[in-house]
Amino acid sequence: MIKLLKILRRKIYIDHYLFFSITILSIMGLLFLYSASQENTETIIKQSFFVFFGLLLMFLLSQLDPDFYKNNAVIFLLISIFLIIITIFFGKEVNGAKRWLDLGFFTLQSSEIVKIALPVFLAAYLYNKPLPISFFHTILTLITILIIVNLVRVQPDLGTSLVIFLAGLYILFLAGLSWKFIGASFIVFILSLPFIWNNFLQPFQRQRVLTLLDPNADPYGSGWNITQSKIAIGSGGIQGKGYGEGTQAHLDFLPETETDFIFSVVAEEFGFIGVCILLFTFFFIMLRCLYLAINARDRFCRLTIGGLSLLFTSTVFVNLAMVVGIIPVVGMPLPFISKGGSSLLSFYIAFGIIISMATHKKLMQK
Amino acid sequence: MIDLNKRTLEKKNFFNRLVLIYVCFGFLFFLFFYRTFSLQVSSYTDYELASIENKTREMLIQPRRGIIYDRNGEIIVNNVPSYNLITKPSEIKNIEFHIQEIKSFLDISDDDVLHAKENYEKAAKLNRELTLKNDLSLEEIAKFEARRHMFPNTFIDERYSRFTNYPELFAHSAGYVGNLDEDNLEEILFEQNLKPKETIFAYSNGYIRGMTGLENIYDRTLRGTYGKKLYQVDASGKLLNEIEITPSINGKDLHTSLDIESQKVAFDQLNNRRGAVVAVEIETGAIVTYISSPSFPLNRIANGMSSRDFNKLLNDKNKPFFDRAGQGRYSPASTIKPAIGLFGIENEIIDWNFTINDPGFFVSPEDDRVYRGWKKGGHGEINLKEAIIESSNTFFFSLAYQSDIDQLIEHLSHFGFGKNVCLDCFLPDKGLLPNPEWKMNTLNFGWFKGDTVNLGVGQGYLSATPLQLAYYSAFLAKKGELNKFSFVQNNTEASSNVFVSKNISNDDWKKIHDSMIGVIENPKGTAGRLRELKDFTVAAKSGTVELVSTETKEDYKIIRETEGKRDHAIIIAFAPMPNPKYAISVVIENGESGGSVAGPVAIEILNSLLRND
Repeated sequence: MIKLLKILRRKIYIDHYLFFSITILSIMGLLFLYSASQENTETIIKQSFFVFFGLLLMFLLSQLDPDFYKNNAVIFLLISIFLIIITIFFGKEVNGAKRWLDLGFFTLQSSEIVKIALPVFLAAYLYNKPLPISFFHTILTLITILIIVNLVRVQPDLGTSLVIFLAGLYILFLAGLSWKFIGASFIVFILSLPFIWNNFLQPFQRQRVLTLLDPNADPYGSGWNITQSKIAIGSGGIQGKGYGEGTQAHLDFLPETETDFIFSVVAEEFGFIGVCILLFTFFFIMLRCLYLAINARDRFCRLTIGGLSLLFTSTVFVNLAMVVGIIPVVGMPLPFISKGGSSLLSFYIAFGIIISMATHKKLMQK
Repeated sequence: MIDLNKRTLEKKNFFNRLVLIYVCFGFLFFLFFYRTFSLQVSSYTDYELASIENKTREMLIQPRRGIIYDRNGEIIVNNVPSYNLITKPSEIKNIEFHIQEIKSFLDISDDDVLHAKENYEKAAKLNRELTLKNDLSLEEIAKFEARRHMFPNTFIDERYSRFTNYPELFAHSAGYVGNLDEDNLEEILFEQNLKPKETIFAYSNGYIRGMTGLENIYDRTLRGTYGKKLYQVDASGKLLNEIEITPSINGKDLHTSLDIESQKVAFDQLNNRRGAVVAVEIETGAIVTYISSPSFPLNRIANGMSSRDFNKLLNDKNKPFFDRAGQGRYSPASTIKPAIGLFGIENEIIDWNFTINDPGFFVSPEDDRVYRGWKKGGHGEINLKEAIIESSNTFFFSLAYQSDIDQLIEHLSHFGFGKNVCLDCFLPDKGLLPNPEWKMNTLNFGWFKGDTVNLGVGQGYLSATPLQLAYYSAFLAKKGELNKFSFVQNNTEASSNVFVSKNISNDDWKKIHDSMIGVIENPKGTAGRLRELKDFTVAAKSGTVELVSTETKEDYKIIRETEGKRDHAIIIAFAPMPNPKYAISVVIENGESGGSVAGPVAIEILNSLLRND
């Protein structure tokens, strides 16, 4: 019996730290969402299903060998690009944005898939390139990134396209992009800021940036969301108002409580103590990823773990910083907490891949 | 196979770069952490407050104004309820159907229906009430109450109106209420640490305040304190439930010194002629009668009247809104003579035995100008007492001629001329007590001796309001000591005006009183006609204000063809003698004879006041 367990243990690839912390985070998420959705049972049942299915998916994906991902990275990327293109043509339109593919049982947000596929592909493409990465490969990689980012941007989904762009850059940077190139492009970026401001941003996006700089200029108009969010967070105090007692959330002052602004609900009902517990869980996952990336078996695994974990970190940061008014409002869910099947599943997939990369060691190393 | 050195280098490179990014993120998260800390811990109180302000909505509760009583405790101005039909739109699905149902037994005007339809949606969304019909009659109330069970969400609610049973008697004294404008509302609420916001009204015409008269002067006392009702609301402003009530405190009642009975008598006596009556209690200076005629309907002004009717009143040539009692300026004419006589005694220009020969006119020694008396041929050899009784002009022309103008003005000011004599009157006029400086500044002329001579018989620039004339009358009656007037009995703020002159003795005052009694009692008195009317012994002095100066009676006959050019009739009086209780002044514009036109009015009012004591 003990022998059987030992064999099973050797055959099962799992990182207990990540698995445990992500499960805890998911359960906390369901708890928060119940209050944030005004005690809507239907939402919770649906979300629970995704959590269960997602954890299962994460477990299954972590059993596959990293070589499987490395060899099929191109196919994954092409499939996800294909999904985005169909979304652009046949997607379901909600509030003027075509981001969802109706699959009957489930509406898929295709940008969430490419968010994972791109970093894996870039890692697979760059892992065997000589250091520092040549100018040719750098440009080729950048073009790939920009094409995909633009496909997402036109949906339009600025938040996700921004995170995808960042994820691409992380991989490039980690893969060994030359400092000269980084310096030069940074200068170009700074110089082209006014151009980006005038040509790439929609008027409402510009308004959001301006609102960030002075939210009190129009507290009942464009500044409403962020003003109410700050009131919700601030009025939570140290201990919070109590579960289900958040007046900002329950009397409709807070917008988008189930998705973008769910953190404000947590902060209002659980106070600074609740915020610390939530943040600690996120930190734990991030630091574990750092440890795993450094100790991964080869360059491909290192890049993949590094890229995907930074993708996760960026998403968390963008959401949190938006909610407290450090950066402008962009649609960005809080991983494992916000409502939304696609976003939830994409992160279970990402961590499934991370665990796979971290747990499969080469015989030589043992 | 990649060589080992290169591999180690690559790994080290990766490690450095990843840690660099993590350090950057560490910094960013620290920033976030700091921000959250400052929101939740450092600025907690501010956001806690903002959150409470968000979820609650305070409504003001309008207090009811105090009631105004007369001196016998009878109500002058009251709050009278009207009944409105009110519904809760949030509970009603189809307002049109709902109105149709009610309309089947209750008449609702098209305007009201339109108003209800227009405001239905907003009121329903915000959970507010909606008025379907104002001012239901008793019959309509009964009709609705009988079918009440059919309309669980519609009910009848009381709203008040400011109302008096004597709309014309108190138009100028009690005054009226009107709508409060934004600035004034803010000011009033600021005194209570409140800000303007949605209000649950007690009055059907919304925010009100006293505009004129006592309603204005005692507005602060009458208005009361606003209450508060705290509701929980959601983001759209919809009322969810009531959290807390601080009831409003109704205004304090005002017990005035006015006397309804004498007001009635005065109003009837004036009979819509242009004029005014002011009567006071001499001991306290409390005003008991205050009438300006013609008057206007107080209730309709306070609670809304059509602009056509309002304009009619406004453009009426008799100026009903004008408060003649407190703001009308009239020459005192011969009523000034007792005061001038006292001046002569005070300055030892004359004594009671001093006589002059009155040929019917006075010739100014300075420039030979002739000043005429009213009686052709004059009054012959007369002393001060006879001069007052017969109202000799020559006697007082001569006396004034010998007077120093500055001393004379100083003397007259003690009697209330040129001063505000009232504590709580609404915009009282000070009249005009002219002096050389005033004449130079306004008319650009020096003071002539002739001006002083005219002052001696109360003509010329000198003018006073009926209120001041009543003060003058009471001052004579109380022998030179009098409280400021007030509409409130025993006004504690009342300061006493005392006139002390060592040259005027109690005996002198008594002789002035005797002279004024003689005005009625003496066969030669100018108001002998009043002898038949009076129930008590009355001291009086009549006056006739010349509006156009004429030399002969024939000239005046031509003038009096035009009503507006006829003389004003004036009288001051006090009674009962020898211990007078009430003093009065009556002015009737273009009434011609002080003694026979203004006099009977004064006597009837004094009779009423004294009879009811």
